Amino acid sequence: MDQTARLRSALSLLMDRWRAVTAAAASILLFAVPALAHTGSSTGGFVGGFAHPLFGPDHVVAMVAVGLWGAFLGAPAIWLLPILFPLVMAFGGVIGIVGVPLPGVETAIAVSAIVLGSMVALAARPPLWIAALLVGAFAIFHGHAHGTELPPGADIVAYSVGFVVATGLLHLTGVAVGLLARWRAGRIAVRTAGGAIALAGVAFLSGLG
Amino acid sequence: MNGFVVGLLHPLALPAHVLALLALGLVIGQQTAGRWIVPLAAFVVGVAAGLTAIASGVGQTSAADVLLAVAFANGALVAMARPLPTLACALLAAITGVTLGLDSPPEAISIAVATAMLLGTGLGASLALAAIVAGTSYIASVADWNWCRIGARILGSWIAASAVLVLALRFARGQLF
Repeated sequence: MDQTARLRSALSLLMDRWRAVTAAAASILLFAVPALAHTGSSTGGFVGGFAHPLFGPDHVVAMVAVGLWGAFLGAPAIWLLPILFPLVMAFGGVIGIVGVPLPGVETAIAVSAIVLGSMVALAARPPLWIAALLVGAFAIFHGHAHGTELPPGADIVAYSVGFVVATGLLHLTGVAVGLLARWRAGRIAVRTAGGAIALAGVAFLSGLG
Repeated sequence: MNGFVVGLLHPLALPAHVLALLALGLVIGQQTAGRWIVPLAAFVVGVAAGLTAIASGVGQTSAADVLLAVAFANGALVAMARPLPTLACALLAAITGVTLGLDSPPEAISIAVATAMLLGTGLGASLALAAIVAGTSYIASVADWNWCRIGARILGSWIAASAVLVLALRFARGQLF
């Protein structure tokens, strides 16, 4: 077999595998039963608000992924994404609170873990506006999910502050871990963490998580 | 505790007031050093006007909602970290002051205690704001503390997000304005 034939054979194999991966992903997206990991919290006040985001593992891993990716991308993304996310998430929360329906919220949240985790795992460095757009789009779904679950607590100010602070601290945790990417071993660890988050997203999407 | 001390601690006891003071303090402190005297004075005048209105028997108002709306605006401005004209800062400070004063009715039967509470509230809110402005201004002046300035912006985005969520909840429950 000459070199051209070998190359064609390799390309054909690659295309077959790509089609298989695409088909698997499409079937997961089409037939997935989302994990509905947003169990919510029924207590009011700062503690109830603070605990709320921590009770949804899909939310937790996606928030950490935002921080990891921000740290991976470096300045200005390292601080821009944690500033942008709460603001856009609040917008999503507002439309959830006032009752505007948003389709596929739980699916989108699981997909956010897959996409953001994959970005970290693949060390993707898109332009800042694309990263911001991607994170902002997912933030709307996360905010909507939480907005519809806010309990009729007595102190809604303290609850909202606790909720936003917990989400922000999850970002900062991701940023802190992501700073390890300055070193070679740390870079591998961060990318591995991104891969684990993406896998967790697949588990949430398939109903295993 | 006497009425004055209760009033002094009042702005720090209500989460909405803490949010509003923190957001305004960060906005003013982010501006160029020396340009925060006018906004601070506007706040003191505003809070005095609001407390005087309360003492004069102004009843239920929508001050709490306006206070949260201004906190949202101030938080978003902190997140954006853009320089503001002194007049705009003074206007935001005055609105925050008036609404904070109007949202601080004293829960006291005696006129003497109520007056002491109102005086304490005015002084407590002004001192708290001055402290936040001084801290933010100091952080902004230290060249090596860029991470602190970024931290202030993140704090601003958290305040704006919290305030808008509360406003939406009040709207959904038919409690807004």
